[in-house]
Amino acid sequence: MKKEKVKLIGKPLKVELEDPAMVIEWPRTLVHHHTYGQLSKFFEGLKQGKLFATLCVNPDCLEKKLWLPPRADCPDCNQPMEWRELPQPVIGEIFTFTRVEYPGEGIELSTPYWQIDVKIPGLCTIPKGYLLYGEPHIGMKVKAGFRTKKPTNTILDLYWIPLEKKLKK
Amino acid sequence: MIKFGKGNLRIPKWERPVYAVAGGLTGYRKRFPEYKLEELCMIAFRQMLEDNDLKLDPLEIKGLLNYAAYGAFADHFQDQLLCEAKVHDYLGLDPLFNTGIKTGGATGGSTVLNAAMAIASGYADVALAMGWERMDEVDTKTGNFYIATAACKDFETRLARIYASYYAPMARRFAWKYNLSEETRAKVAVKNRLYACYSPYAQQAGRHTVEEVLAGKIICDPLRVLECCCMSVGAACMLLCSEEMAYKLTDNPCQLFMAGGTHTLRVADRRHMEIPLLPHETPEMYRDFSREAGGDRWPGFESFLAARFAAYLVYRMAGIENPLKELDLVELHDAFTISDIQTYGDIGLRPYGQEPDYIESGDAYFGGKCPANLSGGLLGTMHAVGATGIFQGVECLWQIQKKYDKFHSNPNIWKRWGKKKPADWKSLQVPNARQTAWVSHAGVGSHVTMGVLRRA
Repeated sequence: MKKEKVKLIGKPLKVELEDPAMVIEWPRTLVHHHTYGQLSKFFEGLKQGKLFATLCVNPDCLEKKLWLPPRADCPDCNQPMEWRELPQPVIGEIFTFTRVEYPGEGIELSTPYWQIDVKIPGLCTIPKGYLLYGEPHIGMKVKAGFRTKKPTNTILDLYWIPLEKKLKK
Repeated sequence: MIKFGKGNLRIPKWERPVYAVAGGLTGYRKRFPEYKLEELCMIAFRQMLEDNDLKLDPLEIKGLLNYAAYGAFADHFQDQLLCEAKVHDYLGLDPLFNTGIKTGGATGGSTVLNAAMAIASGYADVALAMGWERMDEVDTKTGNFYIATAACKDFETRLARIYASYYAPMARRFAWKYNLSEETRAKVAVKNRLYACYSPYAQQAGRHTVEEVLAGKIICDPLRVLECCCMSVGAACMLLCSEEMAYKLTDNPCQLFMAGGTHTLRVADRRHMEIPLLPHETPEMYRDFSREAGGDRWPGFESFLAARFAAYLVYRMAGIENPLKELDLVELHDAFTISDIQTYGDIGLRPYGQEPDYIESGDAYFGGKCPANLSGGLLGTMHAVGATGIFQGVECLWQIQKKYDKFHSNPNIWKRWGKKKPADWKSLQVPNARQTAWVSHAGVGSHVTMGVLRRA
């Protein structure tokens, strides 16, 4: 058996509070390795300025509309779905929205900004996104835009821009 | 699911009746450095065993336990996996089996439902349902981000990293479709925070005005700061048992009926469907909803399928025909003013589209037809997530056991939680309350349980 003592290789933790109880600082930084799995095509598509949705092609399935966010498999008949690219320009209508003023830690967009839910013809869903500029209202027409330069490799690569001419400044 | 199969709408049936006999709470605070989590659980456990007028000695009751269900929402808040094992051992319950339950904001409700299933099936004669949350290890913005990972991480979380941003668009759409005023929303915050003033357990008690709520800081518009619940630390527990044990333990047992529902984590993915009708509703009431026309869809962004499904099942399970008439009070999941209002339609306190009237008519207030959140709710008292749905159930239980005063007026309880009982304290005991219900709710309606407690 070695005679060497075990050395402390970590760092002592800072005491933040002593009263009414001892509270220590507990550092935690970590990196996850997250897969987009079968949805990789969708996120690859955003970087190329394309919007992909999925469609259930099972003739017996009741859901005939597109899924966006896409899913690899149909939740109704459990069969694999197929990719469909939405024809450009992708135009939708604002279903509802909010102005985000107090975001959570790690926010990657400058605040305040408008988070919008967009109804797109042919979809069974109403996906969430953000408005690049302008002021939204329910029913406002918006067009999909893509962060093809310096993409984030996340859903933030898809944004929406107003299609209506500005009525007021 | 947009179409139900033959078996999907089966009404749950306990194999034998399930009873609730006792409850325990802690005080709730934003930060609680005085106690470790398991210590808080022990405090709630002691209150449950020692202060509920049970007919057996606390250790004798402990000796009757067969099973424990534990609810905790988010492991990353505490950075402690398998906290259930720590708490269970700390309460001295090894080697009885326990299960950890995790269904977001509905964790507390799901925990009670799980313990009830153990009683109903015969696995246990006496079961513990306990829940907790410790949200003070991280700052508020980090806490908000953690909670927002309970939105879809690929498609939604990055769009704000705060849950208010998923409820705010629903608030806007609801107002647009049903003509809900900002004042009505604000009244929910004023009401629940006021009721919290009478609770020694409350974290965010306050006498506010509608004007004050509306002048508050906007979190995600239109939701203001006083319309949003906050981060809490605390625990809650409830003791469930079989009929035979119920009468052995108390002269005041209450029968429990409970069911749950679920729906997509992403509001985006809510497809139009037919409304499952409650016993007192007719298809004519919702003729306009029955087709997807003019942007109309159900549940849309206005309602919660999971809550409606839970109510659909539990009313039939408990034989409730008309909730507004037959429930003497309710505890609802007012994480946000809007989520509270949305639920009025789902559980049939009003027909869909008329939800604001439940507040404006006065029905929702103490003294009204069916008062809501006399406990102070999530806005006024707490949202220590894993404990919330148990806290709500315990407050319901104490109401129908006529013990509101016992657990809210005692100056020693106020003192235990570092507070002074207000000079103008008043009792919110609903006279002759016999039957009550509570709703435990997760995500943007991903999981909802509804429990009905009836005085036996």
